[in-house]
Amino acid sequence: MIAELISRNIAHRPVRTAISIIAIAVEVTLVVIIVGLTSGLLQDSAKRIEGIGADIMMQPPSSSLILAFSGAPMPIRIREKLEQMKGVKAVAPVLVQFHSAGIELIYGIEPKSFDAVSGGFVFHQGGAFEEPDELLVDDFYAAAKKIRVGETRRLLDHDFRVVGIVEHGKGSRLFVPLATLQDLSGSQDKASIFFVKCKDPEETSQVMAAMQRVFPRHQLRPLKSYLSMMTSSSLPGLNAFVDSMIVLAVVIGFLVIFLSMYTTILERTHEIGILKSMGASDRYLVKLVLSEAGLLGGIGIGAGIGLSYLTRALMLNLFPTLIILITGGWLAKASFLAAVAALAGALYPAYLAAKQDPIEALAYE
Amino acid sequence: MPLRCAVRGKGRGWQTRADGCKIYVWSGRSVPREAGLSEAILKTENLWKIYRVGKVDVAALQGVSLEVMPGEFVAVMGPSGCGKSTLLYIIGGLTQATRGRVLVDGNDLTELSDAVRTQIRRTKIGFVFQRFNLLPTLTAEGNIAIAQHIHGNGFDPHRFKLVTDLLGLSERLRHKPSMLSGGEQQRVAIARAIINEPKIVLADEPTGNLDSKTAEVVLKMLEKLNQELGQTILMITHNPEAAAYARRVMHMRDGQIQDGVA
Repeated sequence: MIAELISRNIAHRPVRTAISIIAIAVEVTLVVIIVGLTSGLLQDSAKRIEGIGADIMMQPPSSSLILAFSGAPMPIRIREKLEQMKGVKAVAPVLVQFHSAGIELIYGIEPKSFDAVSGGFVFHQGGAFEEPDELLVDDFYAAAKKIRVGETRRLLDHDFRVVGIVEHGKGSRLFVPLATLQDLSGSQDKASIFFVKCKDPEETSQVMAAMQRVFPRHQLRPLKSYLSMMTSSSLPGLNAFVDSMIVLAVVIGFLVIFLSMYTTILERTHEIGILKSMGASDRYLVKLVLSEAGLLGGIGIGAGIGLSYLTRALMLNLFPTLIILITGGWLAKASFLAAVAALAGALYPAYLAAKQDPIEALAYE
Repeated sequence: MPLRCAVRGKGRGWQTRADGCKIYVWSGRSVPREAGLSEAILKTENLWKIYRVGKVDVAALQGVSLEVMPGEFVAVMGPSGCGKSTLLYIIGGLTQATRGRVLVDGNDLTELSDAVRTQIRRTKIGFVFQRFNLLPTLTAEGNIAIAQHIHGNGFDPHRFKLVTDLLGLSERLRHKPSMLSGGEQQRVAIARAIINEPKIVLADEPTGNLDSKTAEVVLKMLEKLNQELGQTILMITHNPEAAAYARRVMHMRDGQIQDGVA
């Protein structure tokens, strides 16, 4: 019976019901997409670094796991010292430059050393660099930007000719010759990262220990565990940003439900009086209001989950290189937060309903 | 076998009598006055209600004492503003008296907490209002069934059928209040009031919003409920024609009962 009363009540005011549901759906979507976007981008970045196939990554002192945020590069002659170390098979110096126009990282590489560490690119079209102004792009980037071999792309205020489209997953989506990138960024004889391939991957920790003795202040990371290290806490302020957005989304959901239920209670004052005259207890009325908010919340959560997938599809259509990771865990967390916000928003209106004076409520026009 | 009558007795539900007549036994809790028991179902003692209007105290009730016995149909008549509705709301536990006692089925409402008064209202009292006061989003059936739901005993289809048949509502149950006539709405309100077998039905100007013909139908329904089901009814009215349906009429003026107390 209570279910019938609630369902008829929410059907009675379709616009208000729709707005409440949309607000909760947007709340869920905001949480899911923001978290999905940050974790997706981080994971994608980490997977691509892992995909290079190196065993150790060496960065300058105090540098970030997030390569775009790394500080000053290192002298390239470090490479010779690394190559001479016991257990080191190959060393690939890479200069990383942030390409703000496409929100992408550009890798400056030496094809020979990069191939030695990574096992070489798999070419979908074209081939390797032969000239200084040549560019390799991965298949994702090429598909997203509709790039074909032979065309010219302007990066870092410089024209590059696309000479190859390679399989994705080798660190970056854009590769240019190391020397060219050094010239363009004013970092002659510098590298941002050294990727080190060990002769025996089982000896990675020994090789790292040896490297650490020679370069005690440099950052050395085993790439085997890079993915697990790449979390939102690796990026300064990212957690705070994500948390702020989640709180904002929850507050929006809370306020909309509060307003919706508050106006509902005002509008239904007379009906509350009728229920009270029939002997409805305070608890019954609280249950009625909270159940209505719960139903709105439930529908909103369901719509929010659907809207999250729809938003992801739309965003991927617009920005195909984006990775938005929607996980069951975060869907559950976002749903829980939305449910809590909806119920919290209905608490005060429920209290008001329960505490209505029955005679005043019955006289309410 | 068609329904012949509904009687009070032990147990609850449809039973077949020795003569083959199918009867609905609906409760053995209250006994008509004619049976000889003298315990009042409703009693007020020196009831006062004083409202504060600005800095002035206004006495809506001034020492009202009355008794209603089980099975009685009592009308309280009086002009507007004489305190009839206030008396009804206090008896119904919707508000508290300033002084005095109100006993409903032996429970002194003036001594009880709001929660217990609500419980008494839920289990022992049924209201019928002038404005019908039906929930507009529910059908007639829903409006009656929600009273059963609030009561907590769940939906009783036998009782439901008995009451809706008795009030001639069987064909109108799927309609919302906005699709019912005033008389039909009031009959739904009466059905809602009696569905849980209350000890007493409190009717506040039940024909005040109806034309004379429809009012007559509704009053006959109340009379029928009283006579056939033994339902105790206290009706507030300012209409002598309506009061004539009651077995006893009390006149009220300036917050006091003038006559008809016993």
